[in-house]
Amino acid sequence: MAITPDLSVDIGGLRIKNPVIAASGTFGYGTELSPFYDPSLLGAIVVKGLSLQPMPGNPPPRTVETPCGLLNSIGLANIGINAFIKEKLPLLADTAAPVIVNIYGNSVGEYSELAGRIEGVDGISAIEVNISCPNVEKGGMVFGTDPETASKVTDGVVKRTTKPVIVKLTPNVADIAVIAKAVESAGAGALSVTNTFLGMSVDIASRRPVLTNVVGGLSGPAIKPMALYLTYRAVEAVKIPVIGLGGIMNHQDAIEFLLVGARAIQVGTANFINPRAALEIVHGLRNFCERENLSDINHLIGSLIKE
Amino acid sequence: MIEESVFIEFNRQMGNDIWLMGFRSEALASLAKPGQFLMIRIQGNSQDPLIRRPFSIHGIGEGNIILILYQTVGRFTSLLSLTRNHDQISVIGPLGKGFRLPGSKQGAVLVAGGMGLAPMYFLAQALPPDARRNAKLFIGFSTFQGAGLIDLIKGLGLQVSLATEDGSMGFTGTVTDLFEQAIDRDAPEEPVIYACGPHAMLKKIAQKAGRLNLTCYVSLESYMACGLGICLGCAIRAARNQDTEYYYVCKDGPVFSAEIIDWEAL
Ligand SMILES: Cc1cc2nc3c(=O)[nH]c(=O)nc-3n(C[C@H](O)[C@H](O)[C@H](O)COP(=O)(O)OP(=O)(O)OC[C@H]3O[C@@H](n4cnc5c(N)ncnc54)[C@H](O)[C@@H]3O)c2cc1C
Ligand SMILES: Cc1cc2nc3c(=O)[nH]c(=O)nc-3n(C[C@H](O)[C@H](O)[C@H](O)COP(=O)(O)O)c2cc1C
Ligand code: FES
Repeated sequence: MAITPDLSVDIGGLRIKNPVIAASGTFGYGTELSPFYDPSLLGAIVVKGLSLQPMPGNPPPRTVETPCGLLNSIGLANIGINAFIKEKLPLLADTAAPVIVNIYGNSVGEYSELAGRIEGVDGISAIEVNISCPNVEKGGMVFGTDPETASKVTDGVVKRTTKPVIVKLTPNVADIAVIAKAVESAGAGALSVTNTFLGMSVDIASRRPVLTNVVGGLSGPAIKPMALYLTYRAVEAVKIPVIGLGGIMNHQDAIEFLLVGARAIQVGTANFINPRAALEIVHGLRNFCERENLSDINHLIGSLIKE
Repeated sequence: MIEESVFIEFNRQMGNDIWLMGFRSEALASLAKPGQFLMIRIQGNSQDPLIRRPFSIHGIGEGNIILILYQTVGRFTSLLSLTRNHDQISVIGPLGKGFRLPGSKQGAVLVAGGMGLAPMYFLAQALPPDARRNAKLFIGFSTFQGAGLIDLIKGLGLQVSLATEDGSMGFTGTVTDLFEQAIDRDAPEEPVIYACGPHAMLKKIAQKAGRLNLTCYVSLESYMACGLGICLGCAIRAARNQDTEYYYVCKDGPVFSAEIIDWEAL
């Protein structure tokens, strides 16, 4: 007889009904893909990265395709935390999936101030801290590339909130385990691994970089093996749950991340290619568990056979 | 807005590197407005090309056939030209804001540079019969691409003038030159200009319209990763007097009133 598998997982104090989460920057402010399906069916939604002030973003072109990948330099354009809370969050009131707010700042202080603004706001279930952006006070060094700065940011956020805190790591570091451990010690409830990989594309006819910003972040299937490895490495380094992402296009990709120990996964670029991708991954995971006779998806997580 | 898997009904070469494709969609035929576009992906498991590409809805044929006119410029469009009848593509649309049709006293002037012809046939289809007969279409190519390409739109009864930069057919020069001469000579009573094509051309048309104080709509392009207002990739600079720094071509456009665009930044 077919069992109905339990797909729910716990990500650092937030219980979600299935391990499929929409990734920041690829799901808008939560309602843009509603014409295609009810986002309530997902485990959770991470909204576009928000800052204290609205940000216009970089001069175009901001995106270009590279083999099996997407290079973007959006420049963290967003409407600002206040406008989000006032105008966008109410539209999500009927959405049964938890809303996770992704935040970024220009200084350690801005991160904690953002956490402070979110504290006490109903309808926000957790905070995801994007530490892949430059620290203006430290000459533009990326917060997430230095363990000390990364833990300061984490500590600043954790102290200002009662909501679960997920820290989203950058892959552009020598050893992700070092950063993962630092952030764990500073009180993070979970990690998201990984943000985009730095990349470039050049137009040989004009001899110019395709992106006005010169450098962009690479996402999509091109980064999957690297993101999977970083997830594996982070899982080994910390005890807190790790959310895996990077190039997940279908449920088979998602299962690879779960097998190396990701407690949940996020779907990013795939949302652009197939707007129903995240929902299809939920269905695919359920079918897989049924076929494999797994009553609980947690039995799949971390069950990689290495010998 | 819908996502649909459709079978290609035909895919015909119309010029050196220009193709006309048709597929049947009742839903799109009833929803689509001139100037709107689709995000298209060739069905299959291939991840290269990965991202959907934007294409204007060229028009609607009999039996709810959606027409796409496209030029092979790179990897996606080359692969698209290789698809055959009964191959499947996935389309999302109709997307964006289309053209605002002219008022009953206004005369439509359509200006198309190369593939800028793509949204014009649908616009012409949507004009009331009288307005259509009086409408003028100026179209320019670098070189003559064959009569088939413009016969379709000529069939709608517009007054069509052709320019080729190499003089292989019609007026010798750019469509902008052709347009500027014509609008000075015999402009309709209250002209509304609809322009689509390369940004350098649109800039000239917009400037000319500005000098003459004419209403002018332009259909713009930008790289698009989603077409749905999510990725914030398709930014285009707004004119200084606007209350935003950027417009997003997929949501706020692709059709814009020419005066709200910062033409210096394009
Ligand atoms: C709203 C909108 C409607 C469009 N309608 C049509 C249409 O009806 N018919 C048509 O033929 N084309 C149309 N285009 C342009 C079309 O989307 C591009 O030609 C196509 O994406 C190129 O893909 P490719 O893989 O063949 O080329 P690529 O290999 O991606 O690029 C080839 C060349 O085209 C340029 N290019 C790529 N994408 C774009 C783009 N989005 N805008 C401008 N230049 C680009 C690149 O700089 C490069 O030099 C439209 C674009 C937009 C934004
Ligand atoms: C257009 C775009 C915008 C993004 N914006 C954000 C953002 O605002 N904050 C953030 O933490 N990550 C952002 N990301 C990164 C994604 O959330 C994700 O980490 C990355 O794309 C890798 O996953 P994927 O390969 O599944 O897309 C963005 C990615 C893309 C493609
Ligand atoms: S193409 Fe993604 S926002 Fe316009």
